Amino acid sequence: MRVPLLWAFLLCPPLTAQDGAQLYGLYCGACHGADGNGATGGQFPPLAGSPWVAGDEERAIRIVLHGLHGPVNVKGRTYNLEMPPQGAMLPDDQIAAILTHVRSSWGNASPAVAPAKVATIRAAQQQRKTPWTAEELLRDFPLPLEKSALSQLISRSYEWSKPEMPDFSTLQALNTEEEHDGLLDAADAPRKEHFAMTWEGTFTAPQEGSYEFLLDADDGAALHLDGKKLVEITGIGPANGGRSKIGKIDLKAGSIPFRAEYYEFTGQEAVSAAWRLKGQKGWNWLSREHMGARPDLEPIPIEPENGRAVIYRNFITGTTPRAIGVGFPSGINLAYSADHLAPEILWTGPFLDGTGKWLERGTNPSPPAGDRVVKCSSSPALPAGTRFRGYELDPAGNPTFISTLGQQIIRDHFEASGGTLTRRISLNSGAPVRVVISDAFAWELTNDQTGKLGPLELHIEGAGTLSQGKPFTLDLTPGTVTLTYRWK
Amino acid sequence: MKSAASLFAASILASSAADYLREEIPLPPGEVMEIGSIALMPEDRVAVATRRGDIWIVEGAHGQDLNQVRWKKFARNLHEPLGMFWQEGSLWVTQRPEVTRITDTDADGLADRFETICAEWQIKGDYHEYAFGSTPDKEGNIWVVLCLTGSFTSECPWRGWCVRVTPKGEMIPTCPGIRSPGGIGFNPQGDCFYTDNQGVWNGSSSLKWLKPGSFQGNPTGNRWHELAKLPKPPEPADKSRMVTERERFPDLMPPAVIFPHGKVGQSPTAVIADESDGRFGPFTGQMLVGEQTHSQVQRVCLEKVNGLYQGAVFHFLDGFQAGIVPMRLAADGTLFIGGTNRGWASRGSKPFTFERVRWNGTTPFEIHTMSATKAGFDLTFTAPVDPASAANPASYSMDAWTYIYQSEYGSPEVDQAKPVIRKATVSGDGRRVSLEIDGRVRGHVHHLAAPGIKSTTGTALVHAEAWYTLNEIPR
Repeated sequence: MRVPLLWAFLLCPPLTAQDGAQLYGLYCGACHGADGNGATGGQFPPLAGSPWVAGDEERAIRIVLHGLHGPVNVKGRTYNLEMPPQGAMLPDDQIAAILTHVRSSWGNASPAVAPAKVATIRAAQQQRKTPWTAEELLRDFPLPLEKSALSQLISRSYEWSKPEMPDFSTLQALNTEEEHDGLLDAADAPRKEHFAMTWEGTFTAPQEGSYEFLLDADDGAALHLDGKKLVEITGIGPANGGRSKIGKIDLKAGSIPFRAEYYEFTGQEAVSAAWRLKGQKGWNWLSREHMGARPDLEPIPIEPENGRAVIYRNFITGTTPRAIGVGFPSGINLAYSADHLAPEILWTGPFLDGTGKWLERGTNPSPPAGDRVVKCSSSPALPAGTRFRGYELDPAGNPTFISTLGQQIIRDHFEASGGTLTRRISLNSGAPVRVVISDAFAWELTNDQTGKLGPLELHIEGAGTLSQGKPFTLDLTPGTVTLTYRWK
Repeated sequence: MKSAASLFAASILASSAADYLREEIPLPPGEVMEIGSIALMPEDRVAVATRRGDIWIVEGAHGQDLNQVRWKKFARNLHEPLGMFWQEGSLWVTQRPEVTRITDTDADGLADRFETICAEWQIKGDYHEYAFGSTPDKEGNIWVVLCLTGSFTSECPWRGWCVRVTPKGEMIPTCPGIRSPGGIGFNPQGDCFYTDNQGVWNGSSSLKWLKPGSFQGNPTGNRWHELAKLPKPPEPADKSRMVTERERFPDLMPPAVIFPHGKVGQSPTAVIADESDGRFGPFTGQMLVGEQTHSQVQRVCLEKVNGLYQGAVFHFLDGFQAGIVPMRLAADGTLFIGGTNRGWASRGSKPFTFERVRWNGTTPFEIHTMSATKAGFDLTFTAPVDPASAANPASYSMDAWTYIYQSEYGSPEVDQAKPVIRKATVSGDGRRVSLEIDGRVRGHVHHLAAPGIKSTTGTALVHAEAWYTLNEIPR
């Protein structure tokens, strides 16, 4: 019986500071878990053992007051949810009570939070209107450090002004330091741009097994284990996970030589590295910056079933919000825009991955999962005033998209076999209707009724007048025109 | 397909004594069934739509032996449907970009026609652009509440509005002022209500009456009135009070029933009326409201005072396995609930659930209604009360508060008041207690606690609390 417990305190006078556990249960526990481990088997960020609630209390106070927006890495796992701001609802003493409870429960052992401290931070941040981002908070309140698996670490800095990894044997070190914390840090260099660094030391593997090493850098970096290059990031660009890489290696328990190389061209500088045993969630950091970890998401392939085409409605990166994906069993795919009334993207291979829209709050992008992606158009394909009326599926699951312009009905049917996409577009009656086939490419006729449409071969048969140049249009008269798309 | 699951949980809902039985309905194995919509169909079939967009039809969900349920997938991958009903051979679905009529024209069990009825509102690709659709009203219109962009801004037309979609597919902008809805439905009189969640301009979550032309309180989406040449909605003052702003803006609709944040849930969702003629217990005519975060069902009694709806919320059902989103109450008295906690956690710790609740015929001892009178409040009970306890004013206590009406996120409880219960008069049949109260405050939530009340058989109330939103005091 959970209920009497709940009622017992709801009938009591208003909750005060000593009721941190009750307040936590009331306002926080649904997401962060009664046991502090994050609700639903850790689908939500844990507070037990979280460095985010340890150390300087201002970090956690700010989050409670104003909320947290965007990705946040907690104990090595990246969450992208929303922490709603509580400051307009909870008074200082209740926030202090909740955080005191959080900081002293489930193995956490940080000092109590005083209501006066909450009041001070509330006053200092009076102008703050939006939730914090993890990056902002870490800039002001870095997380308490974990013990690094690197020891006897020595860094060397060099002058270097090219956007590529130097041959360090030809360079003279500007600076050499012992890094007693065992952490890589681009800030250890005496320069802010046009430099390169190395770190040499010992990595201690706790047990025999398959290891993964994560690397991210602004701009380039490489990790060497036991004298062999394991993972490398080249070129220039930010350290935000978009360029991060993972290298894999089997190790025996014990110490092996470790070397990291890094260069910074201009602008921001950062290097981030971490390791884990295969199957472990989260990362053990080897750097002061903690960047590059991506959510541990298994792909969710969206595929045709039972030999029928798969239709998928959701946001698809590269077309308009009213997107309708179609994946044919033969491995040809398209994204139809119900805003522009056109098949805007065509591609081959895997159709789509559900992880972008079907996990957490669905905030990740969802681009075509396959290859040979062709963007045919990105503007309205039918005259103003044409309305989307939906679609029908034939017994094989192939769609016909239907639009109307007054009394005129435009039907746009798609099917695919082998390496060919066949489109039949028809008009029931009335004056010709102009259809934009592509605003990206002109149709370059190569022989009878066949031409090039960008990287595609396009064959056209039927009643209508075709334009020259861009945009490539078809003036559709009553009847049917068949367009056959083929990847060259 | 026959479900392979042979074990399912059935439990007596702790908070409603032994009178309501909650049962988990076995789901198709291996499927992610984050249920966002439920539709009742002929021949005791039930359709559900998942947040990933699949529509499944289940047979046997009304039956005695839930191990006999049979699931069949009807359609795949729609765009987050949040509202679905069956009408004349089709499922009508409100999905994120449109209202769609979905039909199996060749009767092979698979949907093959997807007619776009109305796609007049805009979306831009934001994850929070939820569209919750109702069942049809008496004219056949579907009411749709459109969440703000990211729940904070209104970046394309009609975000932050309630619109009606006529059977012909016309869209009628109906009420500005929406923030972040969780569900929409009608009371037995046919008036439309929705739930809106605590946040900016919402001090606490509430059940709101969508009176056409009214302003629901959040000005973020106001500017779209120009597109339909509608009157300019109110621009309320920040850090005010709802009662104060109502004096300035007669169109400002106060919440019919506020659900105090934390005390009565944190995220209200589905809105349904009990029209089961007593098959779901003694609460026919009242409203049931789902609760996502606390995995509960609340009970609401409404009344109209001086032209506005107001009333009380009571805790009712508890212990569901995930965060409740949709609910439907069938004519046979079976309450179906669907749940998910993806992205928004819940006390129920399963990632998704499909459950039903049925009444066993024994009347729980509850406060049946709470209504405002000139002198105080009248309470009615589901069974006669023990006059000795019920006539003693000390058996009751009351406190009252309101919320800051502001652009910040939520509000503390403010302007606390302590109304004094002077006298409690028990009716001759023991079913009604009239409370005379000094110090009620117009616009405040009035929290009643009556832990000392006993029935004539000595039973304590299952739920001894009520929260009444006193928008108006009867004249």
